[in-house]
Amino acid sequence: MRIPCPYCGERDAHEFAILGDATLTRPDPAAPDAETRFHDYVYLRDNPAGAHEEWWYHANGCRQWLRVKRDTRTHAISGAVAARADATSPRDAA
Amino acid sequence: MADHPSHDPLAGVPFDRVPPAGAYGVTGEPGIVASTADEPFIALVIARNGHAASVAGRLSRAFGSEVADRPRAAITAASTVIGTAPGRFLVLSKTETDLPGTLRALLGAEAAITEQGDAYVAFDLAGDKVPELLAKGALIDLDPRVFRPGDAATTVLAHVGVTLWRASETSWRVLVARSLEASFTRFLIASGAEFGLRLDGRAPGRG
Repeated sequence: MRIPCPYCGERDAHEFAILGDATLTRPDPAAPDAETRFHDYVYLRDNPAGAHEEWWYHANGCRQWLRVKRDTRTHAISGAVAARADATSPRDAA
Repeated sequence: MADHPSHDPLAGVPFDRVPPAGAYGVTGEPGIVASTADEPFIALVIARNGHAASVAGRLSRAFGSEVADRPRAAITAASTVIGTAPGRFLVLSKTETDLPGTLRALLGAEAAITEQGDAYVAFDLAGDKVPELLAKGALIDLDPRVFRPGDAATTVLAHVGVTLWRASETSWRVLVARSLEASFTRFLIASGAEFGLRLDGRAPGRG
């Protein structure tokens, strides 16, 4: 399996560590049902057959987090973008 | 006659010590000459958010070679600047004794600078057979038709994390964490023995 790192180019999956589902959004801790929502956020995972998005860390390369599109049935990887590209931290927004 | 013959070039060499200088493997003209390069001053530049392009521009003007925010080596006689990640550059110099100070004066608040001279050993590999040696440990394509002079990569060789670049048509550089020098040298010898490998000595004292 090879992952197209946006900075390094196409690299063997051995250079990466996987974190998991990249489609989850951290719940609002101030919400009244925050406890239930955090339980689901931390523990519950879908197991989709087909297209999926995952976080991968390029540990033996540029040491950046990537959001990778992978087909869970074929392991075909259709793309990867830097996690920082779609993150808007308060400092970036300032 | 090689000092360390080809049937077991590492026989008797303690695996926790850097193997001694000498000729390893097949006899005759060595296909690979390996040495630890004389480029002792190393620093890492990490551009702060939004400053990668500006930092690359300042490094280009200061070191006299085009530095871009991508995995390339910008090489001059006295210095080399390598892109290792977005907004990150490893700077190597033969002459700047206070490299972090020079870079701080150059880049100010646009980047964080850390001294790395003790962190890495820079191997210099020369010879026609170097790509064939590196291919035995690499996960990336280092064919000389694909990996051109000036190309750089941060990757693994024989499970050892490295930053490597092609300095010229026949010369390659590999940065290895200093504590893995003995292990990486053993990989070079074991993989280069079939081509004949000459390991040049280094000044005692460091490492």
